[in-house]
Amino acid sequence: MIPRAEPFFLDAGPGQRFCLFQAPAGACRGALVYVHPFGDEMNKARRMAALTARALAARGIGVLQVDLYGCGDSSGDFADARWEIWLADLEAARAWLAARLGVAPGLWGLRLGGLLALDFAQRCPHPVPDIVLWQPVQQGSAYLKQFLRLLSVNEMLAQPENEQSKAASNTGALRAALLGGQALEVAGYELAPELGAAIDALDGAKLAPRAARVHWFEMATAPDRPLPPATTRLAAAWREGGCDLRLQQIVGQQFWATQEISESAELAEATCAALEAAAPIEETA
Amino acid sequence: MYLDDVKRILADVLSLGDAANSLTEQSPLLGSIPELDSMAVVNLIGALEEHFGFAIDDDEISASTFETLGSLTAFVEQKMA
Repeated sequence: MIPRAEPFFLDAGPGQRFCLFQAPAGACRGALVYVHPFGDEMNKARRMAALTARALAARGIGVLQVDLYGCGDSSGDFADARWEIWLADLEAARAWLAARLGVAPGLWGLRLGGLLALDFAQRCPHPVPDIVLWQPVQQGSAYLKQFLRLLSVNEMLAQPENEQSKAASNTGALRAALLGGQALEVAGYELAPELGAAIDALDGAKLAPRAARVHWFEMATAPDRPLPPATTRLAAAWREGGCDLRLQQIVGQQFWATQEISESAELAEATCAALEAAAPIEETA
Repeated sequence: MYLDDVKRILADVLSLGDAANSLTEQSPLLGSIPELDSMAVVNLIGALEEHFGFAIDDDEISASTFETLGSLTAFVEQKMA
């Protein structure tokens, strides 16, 4: 039987972080800290995160889901969120989970959470046995630009051809304003310049994971879809650097971006299978 | 050269399903496909960037880029050239 997830507040500076702990059923064979994505993607992905955490717990892998500073039910406003605070939040979550279960926790990140997990793993002095990446953001600058584009798209489409935009709401101008120190409100989220600059500087190629094993999952809408070239390139670079990377394509919808809340049982199952294979029970018993 | 890729990405982003199979180079997009609202345009641009690994500037894009599947494909071809 899988126990109910245990909600609690974890002390972290500043304030507290809302956490959900899913204890492993039976003997513990591993642990993961879940790193949520950014903005609306976080909300859309809650169901999949919870379902997968339960499924992992049933296989003996405990999961700690933490709402980062300024997100969800944790302390702080989003405008006050900073990348460094999020990294510290992950260390607090990692330490709590390690103490609770007595094993070295891995990381499981979705979209921007994947990039955050990679950045954290590179700085983390403790061994990270596994990193699970669900369609990780690969370039912070491209991600930021896409986010800011929500503000400029209407103007972009209204422009007559050959009349290049010099408008203040151009994505490039918005980015320059943000990096120059001006907070921007995008789709209901007030993005601080410091957080924008930190995201802008992240490059997946420089964050080659140092974990023992990396399980990277990408969604595709049909079984015959090739992997995106950008993914193939980054995976090749990581492998060249000695990374033990297991890259899998899963057929299903991008549940973090669909209009309605959706899920992918295949992704949850593949994630459980990958970790179960990575952490045989004999090793941790 | 990239027509099928672009058609596929368009179908994925807009959840068009089998309806996408009938799209040709001449198929009108913006203003003709109801799912292609401004939010979907942002997602589509992002999906193209992520798939092909290039960056698109606002001033490279106008409504005419999204006029037909052919015009969008021509844009991708020019970016990949």
